[in-house]
Amino acid sequence: MKKDLLHTPEGFRDIYNGECYQKKILEKNLHKVCHSYGYNDIETPTMEFFDVFNKERGSIPSNEMFKLFDKYGNTLVLRPDFTPSISRVAAKYFEDSVLPIKLCYQGNTFINDNKYYQGRLKENTVIGAELINETSLEADFEIIAMLIDCMKASGLKEFQVEVGNVAYYNGLLHEANISGEMAEELTNLIREKNYFGVEELLNSLNINPDIKKTLLELPQLFGSVEILDRAKQLTINEEMTDAITHLQNLYKLLTDNGYDEYISFDLGSLSVHSYYTGIIFSAYTFGMGRAVATGGRYDKLMGQFGQDKASIGFSIIIDAVMAAIERQGIRLETHGESYLLVYSKNSYKTALKKATKLRNEGIKTCIIKNNLSKNDADYLEYAKNAYLNKVIFIDDNGNERECL
Amino acid sequence: MRYITIALAKGRLAKKALEIFEQVGVSCEEMKDEKTRKLIFTNEELKLKFFLAKPSDVPTYVEYGAADIGIVGKDTILEEQRNLYEVYDLNIGKCRMCVCGPASAKDKLMHHELIRVASKYPNIAKDYFYNKKHQTVEIIKLNGSVELAPIVGLAEVIVDIVETGATLKENGLEVLEEIAPLSARIVVNQVSMKMENKRITKLINDVKNYLESND
Repeated sequence: MKKDLLHTPEGFRDIYNGECYQKKILEKNLHKVCHSYGYNDIETPTMEFFDVFNKERGSIPSNEMFKLFDKYGNTLVLRPDFTPSISRVAAKYFEDSVLPIKLCYQGNTFINDNKYYQGRLKENTVIGAELINETSLEADFEIIAMLIDCMKASGLKEFQVEVGNVAYYNGLLHEANISGEMAEELTNLIREKNYFGVEELLNSLNINPDIKKTLLELPQLFGSVEILDRAKQLTINEEMTDAITHLQNLYKLLTDNGYDEYISFDLGSLSVHSYYTGIIFSAYTFGMGRAVATGGRYDKLMGQFGQDKASIGFSIIIDAVMAAIERQGIRLETHGESYLLVYSKNSYKTALKKATKLRNEGIKTCIIKNNLSKNDADYLEYAKNAYLNKVIFIDDNGNERECL
Repeated sequence: MRYITIALAKGRLAKKALEIFEQVGVSCEEMKDEKTRKLIFTNEELKLKFFLAKPSDVPTYVEYGAADIGIVGKDTILEEQRNLYEVYDLNIGKCRMCVCGPASAKDKLMHHELIRVASKYPNIAKDYFYNKKHQTVEIIKLNGSVELAPIVGLAEVIVDIVETGATLKENGLEVLEEIAPLSARIVVNQVSMKMENKRITKLINDVKNYLESND
C-alpha cells in the first residue's frame, strides 16, 4: 500500500458507507421539498470566470477562491457560492421573462479558507432554491417556509431560522453618512456583536446622537418578535420603518401558517455577502457552531449581469446539516424492504432469478456468494452496514432460509 | 435543559472571572479545590459546566461550539481571529498591546522601511504593520521572553503585551507605539447565542449589572 497516496488534500475528504448513505437520503429529502414547491432543477458549471464572483458582485474575498487559468489567460474559479452563477444564468436565459422563475440546484462549492487548520471543509455540498422576478412579501414568505420545511425534512426537531433585514441597517448608514472602509469596519463590529467596539468607533466619528443610539443598540436587537417593536421605536427614516413593517407582515404570514415557532429576529445580523438588499436569514441548530443554511433577498445583483430582477433564495450546507444530525443522534432511514441474498456454490442461478424478480418490483436486492468462513452474524452485520433489512441464504438445492 | 459550557482561560483571569461569577450566584465549588485533577466541573443546579483551557485555545472551543461561552483576553481574540460574538468587556486584566524596542528604533517605524518584528502574536503584528502602518516587515514568531529579541539583535522591535513596563525598562526598552488596549472579554458562540439566548443573556446581564454597580 502506498501510504502517501492515501491522503486527500487538506479540507477535502471521502464520504462513504453509512455517512454517504445518509447524505444521499438527506439530499433526496431536501430535493423533494424544493420540487414540491414547483422549483425546477438547474445545473451551472463548477468553474466560472473570476469576475462573476469578484468584489463588485459582493461574494467572498478573492483570496478565498480557488483560481486557475484557461488557455487564453482568463482567470477561472471553482464556484465559491451559487447565487451569482444563478443570477448570471437568469440574466442570460430568462431576460424577457416577466413571470416568476423558480429554480433549485445542488452541487459542491469550494472555498479556500486559509485561516483554519484541518477540520474545516473547503468543499461543501449545498442545495438551494432561488425565486427570481418576484419582489413581494409572499415571495419572502415562500422561501422561508420552504427552508423550514427543508429543515424538518432533514429530521431536525430543534432549529431556529433567524431573520433580519439589511435595509434597516442600510437606512441607518445612509442617515449617518458612513461609507467605504469605515462602513465595512462598523459592519464587521456589529456582525460580531461587539458592543463596545461599535461604541469606540462611533465615539471617534461625529454623528447625530439619535443615529448613534440606534447603531449602539443594533448588536442587541435580536431575539423573539418583540424586538421588532423596539426596533421600530428607533427608526429615523422611512427606509428603516418600511424594513420593520415588512418583517412584521412577514411574521404574521408565517404565524398564520404555523411556522412561527421556528422564527426569531436579528437586525444586527449582516451577511458577509454584500449583494443582499432586503431580508436575510440563517438557520441554526444544536451541535453545529455555525449556520447550517443562509439566504436572503438580492434585488440588485442581477442588474450587474444585465437588468435588475428582484430575487430571493436560500442555500443549505448539506455537510453542516449532516454533522448536526449525526451529533444529535438522528438517523435517516428509507422505508420498505430490501434483501441480501447469499447463494452457495450451485445456487447462483436460483438467486439471480429471485434477485431479478425483486429488482423488477423495485425492491433493493444485493446478492453475494456464501463465504464458508463467515457465519450468520457476519452476514447480518454486513446487511446492516449496507442498509439491507433481510438476509436470505439459498443452499445448493435452491432452498431458502431467512436469517434472523 | 441543556448544559451551558463555559471555557475559562487558565491563570489569573480564570480566578478573577470565577470570583465575579460567584458574586452573581454562579458558583462552582469543585473548581476551588486546587489539587483536583478533574478537567471539567459541573454545577448541576444551574446546568452549567466549566473548564480551564490554554488561553489561545479558548476562542477555538467557542467557535466550534464545544463551549458556549468563553472568558479570554482581547489579545488572544485578536490573534486567533475566530468567528465569535464578543459581547462584554469585563474590564479586568487591563494592559496594552504595543510595539516596543530601544529608543533608537523609533526612527525605523517612520519610513516604511523593511524591519524585523519579533512577537508571540504574529497575526496582530502582521495586521498592524501591513494594514494600519502599511510597512512591510519580517515577522519572527517567538514563544516567550520576547524582550530578548531586540537585545540580542534578532529583531529591531517587538510586539508584545505591556502591563507596567517594568520588564521593558530594566532591559533598556520602551513603548514606541500603542496598538490596542486589552482586557478580558466574554465571548459567545454564534449559534449558542441564538439557541440559548435567554439563559446566556441573563448571565451576561447579571455580570454586567454587578460590575457596573461596583464602579
